[in-house]
Amino acid sequence: MSFFGFGQSADIEITLDGVDTRKTADIKSEDGKKERHLLYYDGETVSGKISISLRKAGKLEHQGVKVEFIGQIELYYDRGNHHEFTSLVKELARPGELTHNTVYPFEFANVEKPFESYTGSNVRLRYFLRVTIVRRLSDIVKELELVVHTLSSYPDMNNPIKMEVGIEDCLHIEFEYNKSKYHLKDVIVGKIYFLLVRIKIKHMEIAIIKRETTGSEYIFAGPHTFTENETIAKYEIMDGAPVRGESIPIRVFLAGYDLTPTMRDINKKFSVRYYLNLVLMDEEDRRYFKQQEITLWRKGEKSRKSQTASPHMPSHLVSAETGFPQGAAQNGPPSISSCPSQSVSSSITGIEDIHAPIEGMTREEGDGEGEKEINTESN
Amino acid sequence: MVSLFFSQPITPAAMTGVEEQEKLLEDAVGVVKVQAFQMKHCLDKSKLMDALKHASTMLGELRTSLLSPKSYYELYMAITDELRHLELYLLDEFQKGRKVTDLYELVQYAGNIVPRLYLLITVGLVYIKTNRYLKRDLLRDLVEMCRGVQHPLRGLFLRNYLLQCTRNVLPDVADGDEQEGTVRDSIDFVLMNFAEMNKLWVRMQHQGHSRNRERREREREELRILVGTNLVRLSQLETVTLDKYVKLVLPGILEQVVSCRDAIAQEYLMECIIQVFPDEFHLQTLNAFLKSCAELQNGVNVKNIIISLIDRLAAFSQRSDGVGGPPGSPNQVPGIPQDVKLFDVFSDQVATIIQTRQNMPPEDIVSLQVALINLAHKCYPDRVDYVDKVLLTTLQIFQKLNIDKLEYNSAVSRELSRLMKIPVDNYKNILTVLKLKHFAPLLEYFDYEGRKLLAVYVITNILENETLIPTQEQVEAVLLMVSPLVQDQPDQPSISSMVEPEDPEDFAEEQGLLGRLIHHFKSDTADQQYMILSAARKHFSAGGSKRVKYTLPPIVFQAYQLAFTYKGLKDQDDMWQKKCQKIFQFCHATITALMKADFAELPLRLFLQGAIAIGEIRFDNFEMVAYEFMSQAFSIYEDEISDSKAQLAAITLIIATFEQMSCFSEENAEPVRNQCALYASKLLRKPDQCRGVATCSHIFWSGKSLATAGKEMQDGNKVLDCLKKGIRIASQCMDTSVQVQLFVELLNHYIYFYEKGNTAVTVQILNQVIAKIKEELPNLEVSEETEQIQKHLANTVEHLRNRIESSESEGLSYQGIAL
Repeated sequence: MSFFGFGQSADIEITLDGVDTRKTADIKSEDGKKERHLLYYDGETVSGKISISLRKAGKLEHQGVKVEFIGQIELYYDRGNHHEFTSLVKELARPGELTHNTVYPFEFANVEKPFESYTGSNVRLRYFLRVTIVRRLSDIVKELELVVHTLSSYPDMNNPIKMEVGIEDCLHIEFEYNKSKYHLKDVIVGKIYFLLVRIKIKHMEIAIIKRETTGSEYIFAGPHTFTENETIAKYEIMDGAPVRGESIPIRVFLAGYDLTPTMRDINKKFSVRYYLNLVLMDEEDRRYFKQQEITLWRKGEKSRKSQTASPHMPSHLVSAETGFPQGAAQNGPPSISSCPSQSVSSSITGIEDIHAPIEGMTREEGDGEGEKEINTESN
Repeated sequence: MVSLFFSQPITPAAMTGVEEQEKLLEDAVGVVKVQAFQMKHCLDKSKLMDALKHASTMLGELRTSLLSPKSYYELYMAITDELRHLELYLLDEFQKGRKVTDLYELVQYAGNIVPRLYLLITVGLVYIKTNRYLKRDLLRDLVEMCRGVQHPLRGLFLRNYLLQCTRNVLPDVADGDEQEGTVRDSIDFVLMNFAEMNKLWVRMQHQGHSRNRERREREREELRILVGTNLVRLSQLETVTLDKYVKLVLPGILEQVVSCRDAIAQEYLMECIIQVFPDEFHLQTLNAFLKSCAELQNGVNVKNIIISLIDRLAAFSQRSDGVGGPPGSPNQVPGIPQDVKLFDVFSDQVATIIQTRQNMPPEDIVSLQVALINLAHKCYPDRVDYVDKVLLTTLQIFQKLNIDKLEYNSAVSRELSRLMKIPVDNYKNILTVLKLKHFAPLLEYFDYEGRKLLAVYVITNILENETLIPTQEQVEAVLLMVSPLVQDQPDQPSISSMVEPEDPEDFAEEQGLLGRLIHHFKSDTADQQYMILSAARKHFSAGGSKRVKYTLPPIVFQAYQLAFTYKGLKDQDDMWQKKCQKIFQFCHATITALMKADFAELPLRLFLQGAIAIGEIRFDNFEMVAYEFMSQAFSIYEDEISDSKAQLAAITLIIATFEQMSCFSEENAEPVRNQCALYASKLLRKPDQCRGVATCSHIFWSGKSLATAGKEMQDGNKVLDCLKKGIRIASQCMDTSVQVQLFVELLNHYIYFYEKGNTAVTVQILNQVIAKIKEELPNLEVSEETEQIQKHLANTVEHLRNRIESSESEGLSYQGIAL
């Protein structure tokens, strides 16, 4: 890069090992465009070659050549400060002169990559390689983005989410999601059981909400704390008004949505959390909802493949999940014993739960103001 | 009118006019057409994802809440029609082995549930058709996922689509591959779908404003077939055996039907069960079915359901006549297995239903009994006791309900008369009906009109079937049964009341029936016949003057006939003479009873008829009895007949009768003859006198007595006297027209006797009469009468001419006659 049209200049090219075989992954850039980069996991060695080609004959004086592996968090409202949580440097050449095109191999062995690459509304977490030819006036710099996915193993504890919620004398429901932790290609399976319905419900949907919090979670409402909610998906699960005793199945495939693993307090800078929002809408357009956090995690590819051996075999059928009620469905008032979910619930949570107070739902009037407040990002 | 506060899905649609509905439908169908076109276009280019998107948009039209059920149906039909293209395309692709990865999952990304589920069903079906091992699981999945649509109209159509799509793929094998599924899975599948659809259908009733109830019920009626299709599907499963029906299918259905507590649904579905499943199944599940009937809602017309079942089974038993049950049991009711006590089961269960359903109207209760009686008749034609049991039950029900009298033409009364007519119609024999001990007591519940109507019915039945009633007891029973016709009833509306008096023609007709009935009282033995007649008379005598006129004469004639019967039996029965005498005493008394009822001509004729009968039978003491009868006739003539025309008719009849009889000795015959002549000449009007004596002349000629030993007495002078007297009287008539007429008549008498060989009548006399006529004839004014007289004369003269011409052969000379 030459400012005055004189002096030597050089192009830097970074070629990573296994560029043809390594997987790639998409990530949004800051301006929202999708970019594709090579994908690395935690602990993987990042190695390759750096080629420096001189633009014209002659020599290039430099104060040294180095390559850095950097992981950093950028807060959009604080452009000046990038928080590097990882920074590794390799010296490629001592100060001196380059007289011809040179190739330097490099290797960052078993690099720790603790976080997943992420581009959000207020924050970005990125990994990149940076090659610098240090010069007296202006350095020649070249950066290369990498994408990092953090893999998790199957969680030890993965209890279903089961809860009885409602608004007194108006609506009591019991909902159940089969897990509290879902991997990104997972399927949410569950059911809603209506215990009491005194409102005229129009429909019911499940929304997946992503909440990104920047700034330290421990210093809430500080000047540098932002929370963004984004509705990733809205999924209608019921049409019309149920009566009490109805049980409505839920089945949401996550693979189709743009999700990341849940991130909690990443380097004390930001968090990304996911919530399932169960929303019931009545005929006067009042909304009743209950949010429930779920944990998303990324699963290794291999194990996923083994699960769906045949792509032509539909998975997650009701029969495999909840069992099929034999004979005719019950009509009339639901008795405790006739409701399968109820019996499951009592066996898991114990009898004292029956007398436990019902957790409240949130009700909002039909102007939709409240909902708006929560979902600023979606508009 | 549009209620903004109740934006029920159906309400606004139906409230907006027909035009608006058409507009909405048109718009929706327009969208469907466009999207369907795009979908097909994409399919042609193998752009499946785009095609699915268009399909989804098209299906989105089914999310509407604005359409009435009818319009929604049309939209549904249009859309499902288009979905077939997608299905066929996918089937084709799948069969070529080009499967789309995770298609079943893919369609589940559709954000709206209605399009999503339609697509899921469509795709699911393709999976099932190309991989039968998925069948069981996919069926379960689909029927379960459909729960997401809780809106009644949309849910009903969605599940109907499910049912339509799966109709050819339901597993229908008793045992089989686990994954392919068995009929058991199909039963579960359909029952579940049925239960859910029924819940949705019932729910429609409770949504929206109460003032729209009527319309809502109408809409539900339109949709019921969707629910009923589930039952049809169940009935089409071939491997549903009796055992499976009894253990799985029926209990599943009934539980849903009973627990839905909705009258419309219950009534329709019970009827559905009856109609779609085979009779053999019904026969084995009567108790369960009928027990459920007892548990239905109050608004349900249980009567119709049970009647429908009974009718079906009754028809079945008749249809399967001769098919029989298992071999080795020849004595059973055909078609109905011996171990099924059809009647008992129905009888018991109906009783239970009546007991549990307190507010059942009495007419419905009776209707049920009607059905029971029909059942008994059709399935057990020889079990009179069954029929009687039904009658007894009905009787007990009335007692329990404290029903006293059934008003004519009330619903109960109509039903009951239907009930009572069944045995009458079916047995076609009143004697069998008489065996029903509770028939007559039940009759008592009708009011007068009702009983009378039934009495007419019973009699008509007897007459049509020509049933003969052979014993006194039976006669009495029948007469009690028809007593409203036989005699006045305590509850009969009196003439004085405001009630319109009976039409005399109707009355005459009814009594005429009664008269005809008497001729059906016929015993094989004469003695029994006598008992019958006296019993009948006892009843009829109480009928009052209006009735005896119609009822007693047949009895008298029957009695005369009986007397002839005894005469025929005289070689076998030593007592016949005594018995005959008794019969005629009986007749005498009967006729006297008629006299007392102020009738004159009728007893007169009956006495005369009796006299002839006696004359012919000639038992001991006959002359005396005959004389008594004759003298009774005379005294009636004297005392009762005052009208001159009637007198002439009566005396003519008496003369004619006497002329026929030959059973009197001269001692008795003489006074009778004289009396006849006397009465004839004492008639009031001259022409009557004239004709009377002319007629009388014949008893002196052809009259017979014991003295003449049955030969004609031929007293020529007496004859001539009479005729002369006639001429004299005729001459006294002022009206020449009448006079001439009488002369012509007398001339005919003369000629008759002349030809019979009465020597007292001579040609001169004839000439005199003819001359007299000819003298007067021209003086008559021209009129119709005159013409008649001339014609009469001309005929007479013609007759004479003929005689003259053939006189040689006859040996009788008309010599000297002046024509």
